[in-house]
Amino acid sequence: MTGKERILTALALRQPDRVPLYIHGINEAPIIGIGRHLTDGLPEPKLFHEMDPAEKMKLLDTLFLLHEEFGVDGFTSFEIGHEVEVDAEHVKDDWGILYTRSHHGLPVAKGHPVTNAADLEAYRPPEPSRSHLLLLDMGRERFAGAKALFWLMRGTFVRSWRLIGMENYMINLRADPVFLHRVAQMVENYNLQQLELLAEAGLDVLVVEDDIAGTDHPLIAPRHFAEFVEPYNRSLVERAHALGLKVVRHSDGNLWSLMDTLLASGYDGLNPLEPQADMGLEKVKDSVGDKICLLGNIDCRDLLPDGTPEQVDEAVRQAIGDAAGGGGYILCDSNSLHPGVNPENCIAMFEATRKYGVYDAA
Amino acid sequence: MDLSSIKQPVLDGDAQATVAAATEAVAAGVSPSAILTEALIPAMEEVGNLFACGEYFVPELLMAARAMSAAVEVLRPSLVTSGYEAAGTVVIGTVQGDLHDIGKRLVAMMLEGSGFDVVDLGTDVAPEQFIAAARDSGAAIIALSALLSTTLPAMQSTVEALRAAALGDTVRVIVGGAPVTDEFARRIGADGYAPDAPGAAALARRLVRVGGEAAVN
Ligand code: B12
Repeated sequence: MTGKERILTALALRQPDRVPLYIHGINEAPIIGIGRHLTDGLPEPKLFHEMDPAEKMKLLDTLFLLHEEFGVDGFTSFEIGHEVEVDAEHVKDDWGILYTRSHHGLPVAKGHPVTNAADLEAYRPPEPSRSHLLLLDMGRERFAGAKALFWLMRGTFVRSWRLIGMENYMINLRADPVFLHRVAQMVENYNLQQLELLAEAGLDVLVVEDDIAGTDHPLIAPRHFAEFVEPYNRSLVERAHALGLKVVRHSDGNLWSLMDTLLASGYDGLNPLEPQADMGLEKVKDSVGDKICLLGNIDCRDLLPDGTPEQVDEAVRQAIGDAAGGGGYILCDSNSLHPGVNPENCIAMFEATRKYGVYDAA
Repeated sequence: MDLSSIKQPVLDGDAQATVAAATEAVAAGVSPSAILTEALIPAMEEVGNLFACGEYFVPELLMAARAMSAAVEVLRPSLVTSGYEAAGTVVIGTVQGDLHDIGKRLVAMMLEGSGFDVVDLGTDVAPEQFIAAARDSGAAIIALSALLSTTLPAMQSTVEALRAAALGDTVRVIVGGAPVTDEFARRIGADGYAPDAPGAAALARRLVRVGGEAAVN
């Protein structure tokens, strides 16, 4: 099977030839750290914007290379070219949202252009741009059908709070629900338009990336989630399915109290199944494994940063034992290969997936 | 007067009704400090419990905290003249490099809700900023939040910098955030750890009550 077939088979809850391997997100430092095992001439770890054009090309090439060399079956792309630099520490995107850059991860939204209904009245959202899908184009050309092409699309909750601010969002659940619904509709429209472009560009799997939960509980009440968030994400699922795509839902944290609502949306897969948030594979497989494909769970909080390659090997073996039976499991970490993970541990994760993930031998 | 008429609107997160009930109680002759310690603070404690057991979520806690502080603003002048003293000042922030805000905000709100004055320095806070704010405010407690494995070292170096700054024997440092554990707190020399916002408030109260005995056991 090709990587793409493997991923699509697992997402269809069937059994591929072996357990597919996927990287949901990866920051610059681990690309460089892992890449050093494959190629020379990589710069010291730094942020993308700090690299010169040659270093940027090298980084991208290394990203592709590590997917090839370690047999990662899916490639994740996301929007690029929609941000402009404001100063050394800040960028602004085409929604007018201001982000603070960070050496510990992706830039974080800290300046919010819309506060209330009056602002929204005057606000014009951006139009999705074909040119922002460049990374998807590059992946499609490089892998030529060998790997499943994923796209990270920020969902309703994340786009809404980025636009209006997290606390402001939460206050308006009571103060001005109509405002929140209108923001959500605007986000939905944008996402639906972008989805058309993505499907034309050859996408295989849409990832609705919409973190909604902390370690113990969702950030907002399940009834608010069911009213203000999920209906707008659900229409993405429906349209994506109509376009022949698979859809994976990503949210960190403890999702148990939202599970019924999530399942009702009809996603094909659920990611990243954080072990510390009671999303252990045995339990998840047992309760929903026949309804939704599971992607994730290899602990990026403690294990991948501080564990040993032997411990990672064991965790992968365990995960495959718990979740891969009969198909419907894609091996992936529990959020992202963030700047804190140890590259040797990532490699151990890739290699162990090969070692333990063969179905015929099982 | 039945102080539950003040507690309920806090639980409902209704600022207007909380202010109205508190104002009414003052007019009826209830002392502002009794309103605070017997109605508002216990109401927030209950909110904290409801949050901890998953009945309330971040927005409900946020609304309740806002309701309480609206009432405290109204009571403040008379609290000041009656000689009421806050439980102490807490300086709080997320450590350098870490931009996670939500958990730290909740802790700040619960601390305020249990009678502390809180100086919230935001996220990505350098050790020097903690030190300067602690000096300026005469803080009794400095609270550090971190959500990333990669910013735990910054938490450790902040604790070290706070120790080196000799802010006074009674100043206590507490730490928390998803990857932080009791064991880690002890190892870096913090005075206390709590797993969640209600726990942070209880910890802070315990620390000021016992006059600064270390609460990591
Ligand atoms: C929301 C979120 C974000 C948002 C933050 C938005 C904001 N305005 O704050 C954004 C999108 C910006 C973000 C970014 C990143 N994040 Co993040 N994020 C989360 C998420 C989903 C929820 C955190 C949260 O708000 N929880 C809700 C609150 C209420 O809980 P809390 O923060 O834990 O706080 C409670 C307690 O911990 C405690 N507490 C907190 N502080 C203190 C302080 C004291 C003194 C005390 C006593 C107690 C205490 O009380 C609080 C209330 O009860 C978590 C998942 C998770 N399991 O927590 C990941 C998570 C924290 N993020 C993670 C990662 C990897 C990242 C990124 C590095 C991603 C990347 N690859 O780029 C970036 C880093 C950005 C940066 N430089 O900081 C990982 C961290 C892993 C690790 N240990 O290293 C997590 C655990 C996700 C995962 N599945 O692994 N994130």
